[in-house]
Amino acid sequence: MSKVFGLALGILAAVGGFVDIGDLVFNVSAGAMFGYELLWVIPIGVVGIIVFSEMCGRVAAVSKKAVFDAVRERVGFKAALGTLIASEVVNLMTFAAELGGVAIALQLLSGLPYRWLIVLAALGLGVVIWVTSFDWIERIFGYGGLCLLVFAVAAVKMSPDWGEAGAGLVPHVPQSNAMVYAYFVVGLLGAAMTPYEVYFYSSGAVEEEWTPKDLGLNRANAIIGYGLGGFFSIALMLTGATLFLGRGIEPEHLGTIALGAEVPLGEIGLVLAIVGILFAVGGASIDTVFSGAYNLAQFCGWEWGRYRTNARAPRFTLTWIVLLALGILIVLTGVDAVVLTEYAVIFSVVALPLTYLPILLVANDDAYMGRYRNGRLANVLGFVYLVVILVVALSAIPLMILTNVGQG
Amino acid sequence: MAGRTVPLVALLILAGCNGGTVDRHALENDRKTLDSIACEGALVADGVAHDRTTVVFARVHSDELRIDASNFADALASRATEPGIEREVRRTARHAARIAGVLKRLHEHPANRVVGAVTERSLEQLAGGCS
Repeated sequence: MSKVFGLALGILAAVGGFVDIGDLVFNVSAGAMFGYELLWVIPIGVVGIIVFSEMCGRVAAVSKKAVFDAVRERVGFKAALGTLIASEVVNLMTFAAELGGVAIALQLLSGLPYRWLIVLAALGLGVVIWVTSFDWIERIFGYGGLCLLVFAVAAVKMSPDWGEAGAGLVPHVPQSNAMVYAYFVVGLLGAAMTPYEVYFYSSGAVEEEWTPKDLGLNRANAIIGYGLGGFFSIALMLTGATLFLGRGIEPEHLGTIALGAEVPLGEIGLVLAIVGILFAVGGASIDTVFSGAYNLAQFCGWEWGRYRTNARAPRFTLTWIVLLALGILIVLTGVDAVVLTEYAVIFSVVALPLTYLPILLVANDDAYMGRYRNGRLANVLGFVYLVVILVVALSAIPLMILTNVGQG
Repeated sequence: MAGRTVPLVALLILAGCNGGTVDRHALENDRKTLDSIACEGALVADGVAHDRTTVVFARVHSDELRIDASNFADALASRATEPGIEREVRRTARHAARIAGVLKRLHEHPANRVVGAVTERSLEQLAGGCS
């Protein structure tokens, strides 16, 4: 029974961690701009995050080391420092975007001033992190994030062209607008494979004291959890394609995404959509703050973890508080959360190889993994994805500039 | 390597920004975005007209769209333009201001179904059709 419960928690955490503001923005925008043509990118991104999450969960269960422990030991101090700086910058950008998203969702529900809500949201998240156990954080944000299922209902109710949607699952070259299309491919992959997801996942596995006996649970969590996240992403893209493409609407706000549930389902659809967005981006805010603190603590060799009291891991605690404060300052400058999201996703793409290459190396290392090292399938998939990641990492910034951040 | 990369990136960014001058391509993009704002506003207004939305959502979201349209109106009214398109750019600025005006009305009456229906029609007309 506890295994089933553990699986449920893992799945909920994976759903909460997968569908963040980047996925919301990029999936709906891709649907609004290219209809069903980019659906094929979602399964590719989902399989990628499953492959690497399974690997780092396995590394955590076998070696008791989270990703950043392994990064530092395996690639040396200088390369690890570069990875740390890149990941902390991207984490902070992502956190600020998520925090802005929480404030926007609260504003759409309450009508209160946005700036007040930024501070309120940050304080609320701080209190939740300070007083709530890891399990309860997973439950609150995981279950709340399930409200996003409303987008699947909305997509079905709007009767998409299932034939065209099926054709969209087959990778193909676009008829026009190739650069913007490529930009969205990169963005969708980046949103699906954001580095903080694996940092959080592997650190969580160490915190929950996984052992090799939990490897089945690890695999099930990764496959079912991220698979469900991919399901949400498909629903969001279908919504964008069905509702916005024909009307020429380019989603620029989180409120636009919520309209995708309001139009077919009315007020209840709208409220569920905003609540789902609130919990999804709220959960992602906590994931990113923790990831930032995990990375620094693991790199520096400090005590870390939510299962230790705040007093027993003071530098870890101080790190997440500082990150929270920096996030508030960034959002209070008035930067647009959706625009910040796009930059965060694209910059995270650049940092992807720095995260995933060390994971692949460690998962293949006999000294760490013994008989649990990568099998043939994991290696083939790992190396194929590494090539994909390198290509998208090299093309991300040029595409962002050449397409004027996807505007064409 | 870095010595070559930095100027290249700066050049690309400048090419993308076009030095702040509105050219025909940028104007087309701005028009498309304005149509998008108007159509999205029409969708919000349709929700008000059919009592399908919440008052808070209609008020907040129509205001976000109004701010977008106003920003376009201000920018297009004052930015330097490429030779030969200045009148078009200023006309588009006035168009943006009209969209912002209609959205302001929706923002101020988010519970009024009649205003919802009227603003929906106005915004669809300003967008030149939304379906």
